Amino acid sequence: MEVVRIVIVGSGDGGTFTANLLASELRQEIRGGSTSVQLLGEHLAHPFQPGNLDIAFKGAEPRKYVRDETRLLRRGIEFIQDPAVKIDLDGRRVTTRSGRVLPYDHLVIATGAVADPSKVPGLAEGSLNFHTGPEDSRRVWEALQGFGGGTVAVLIAGTPHKCPPAPNEAAFMLDDFFRKKGIRDRVKIRFLTPYPRAYPAEKVSNVVGPMFEKKGIEVNTFFNVDSVDPAKRKVYSMEGEEFEYDLLVAIPPHHGADVIVDSGIGDADGYVPTDKGTMKVKGQEGVYAIGDATDIPVSKSGVVAHLQSVVVAHNIVSEVRGTHDELAYNGRINCPMEVGQHKAIFVSATYESPPEDQTPSTVKYIEKRSFAMIYWRALNGSLERVFDMFFGQTRFPAEAEQHLPPKAS
Amino acid sequence: MSALQPHKVLDCRGSFCPGPITELFKAYRSAQLGDVIELLATDPAAKADITAWAQKSGNEVLDVVDEQGYIRILVKVTKKRS
Ligand SMILES: Cc1cc2nc3c(=O)[nH]c(=O)nc-3n(C[C@H](O)[C@H](O)[C@H](O)COP(=O)(O)OP(=O)(O)OC[C@H]3O[C@@H](n4cnc5c(N)ncnc54)[C@H](O)[C@@H]3O)c2cc1C
Repeated sequence: MEVVRIVIVGSGDGGTFTANLLASELRQEIRGGSTSVQLLGEHLAHPFQPGNLDIAFKGAEPRKYVRDETRLLRRGIEFIQDPAVKIDLDGRRVTTRSGRVLPYDHLVIATGAVADPSKVPGLAEGSLNFHTGPEDSRRVWEALQGFGGGTVAVLIAGTPHKCPPAPNEAAFMLDDFFRKKGIRDRVKIRFLTPYPRAYPAEKVSNVVGPMFEKKGIEVNTFFNVDSVDPAKRKVYSMEGEEFEYDLLVAIPPHHGADVIVDSGIGDADGYVPTDKGTMKVKGQEGVYAIGDATDIPVSKSGVVAHLQSVVVAHNIVSEVRGTHDELAYNGRINCPMEVGQHKAIFVSATYESPPEDQTPSTVKYIEKRSFAMIYWRALNGSLERVFDMFFGQTRFPAEAEQHLPPKAS
Repeated sequence: MSALQPHKVLDCRGSFCPGPITELFKAYRSAQLGDVIELLATDPAAKADITAWAQKSGNEVLDVVDEQGYIRILVKVTKKRS
C-alpha cells in the first residue's frame, strides 16, 4: 500500500500542535497504515516559553515550565528526537543528524526562531536575557537578587523578536520587583527601543507610554543597537547615541534555525518565505511553514503558531483526502502584556485591522495567567472549541482571499 | 526621482506596525552610507514613523509618494555609526 508521509520538522509550539491535530483528524488513515505522521525534534524537553518572564522576574522554578515532549503527543505520531540537518525541497526529503533520510509527501516546517546574542558585538558578554531559555532566564533572577541600585537597561537588540510585548513586560515587572524590594528609588529603569514609541502599535503605546512615565521608566526611542562595551558598561546605537548601564537585560536579535540556512531555503535572516494566508512555502506544493520560522511580518508568538497550525493541518487533510477546501489564516494576533500590579492588556489585530484601544485590567491579567495553565492541554487540540469562541474569526476559505473583511477605521 | 534606483525595495503592504519600520531597520543595519531604501506600505502610521526616525537619526526621507491604496517612501542612509 502507498503510504502518505507527513513530516513535521520542529517539536515546539506549532509543530507539536500540528502533529496532534493531524493525528486526531487522520486517526483512521494512520491506524489503517495509509498515512504516517513523523515529528522531528531537537530536544525531549518542551518549554513553555512565556514562563521565562516569570522565571526571570518572579523567581519561578524553570522546571515548572517544562514537559516531556512524548507526553504531549497523541497516539499515532512517531516522534523522532534527531534534528534535521537538511531539508531538500527539490528531492522532497529531510535528512537528520544521525543520517536518517525521511521522504515526505507533505512537509511542515516549524523550526521556530533563535535568539542569538552573538549577533551584536559585546552583547553576549555584556547582557543577560530571558529569550534563550529557562536557565538563562534564571540568571536574570539571580542578578536581580544581588542588585542594590543603579541603572537597569532593557534593550530591544533586534527586530523581529519573539513576543513583541515581552520587553515592555520586562520593564513593568522590573518596576514591580524593585518596588516590592523597597529600592525603587535607587533604580533607574531605562527602556531602549528601536521603535518610535514605547510600543510599536500606536494605540497600545497610548496605554503603555503614560504608564511607563507614571512608573518612572525612561523610554529612549529609535535606538537600533550597534554594540555593547561590557568593560565600560555602555551600549551604543547605530544612530549615534550611547547609554551607561549597571545591568543590561536584552532581547537578543533573532534569526531562523540553522537547518533553514544550511538548506538554503530561508531569506537573509533564515526565515522561510511563506504565503501569509495558506501558509504554503512559496513556490512549493504540499510544503508549509508555521510560527516563528516564517518570514511573515506578524507577531512571532505562540498564538500565531497555534492559529496557523489549524490552517495547515486542515490544508494537509484536504490534500490527503482530495477535498480541495483550502483555508487561509487572517493574521489574527492576540499577545498578552502584563503591565504590573496584576493587570494586563491584550494586543489584538489581524492583517486588515490594527490593534485597538486598550484598558489594563485584572480580568485580562487572569486571562493571561490562565493561558499558562491551559497551554499543555491546548497543545493536544482538545480546547479548540473554546479558542474558536475566544479568538473569533481566524481563517477563511483560501479562494475568498480577495473578499477579506473590511478594514477597521 | 524616477531615475533613482533604490538599493533595496521593501514591500510591507498589508502589514501593520511594527511591520514596516522593522523591515526598514533591518535594511538600515545592512545598508551602507548613501544607500537608498524604498518601502511600500499600507500602514497609515508608516509615513509619520519613518519621517520621525529619519529626523531624529539624521537620515533622509527623499520622497513620499501616494500610490493607489498604499504609499511609497524613499529613504537615503546618510547617518550610521561606523
Ligand atoms: C519570553 C517569552 C515570552 C513569550 N510570551 C508569549 C505569550 O505571552 N504569548 C504568545 O503567544 N507567545 C509568547 N512567546 C512566543 C512563543 O513562545 C513562540 O512564538 C512560539 O513558541 C512559536 O512556536 P514555534 O513552533 O514557531 O517555535 P518554537 O516553539 O520555538 O519551536 C521550534 C522548535 O523547533 C525545534 N528545531 C529547531 N531546529 C530544528 C531542527 N533542525 N530539527 C528539529 N527541530 C528543530 C526547536 O528545538 C524547537 O523545539 C514568548 C516567547 C518568549 C521567549
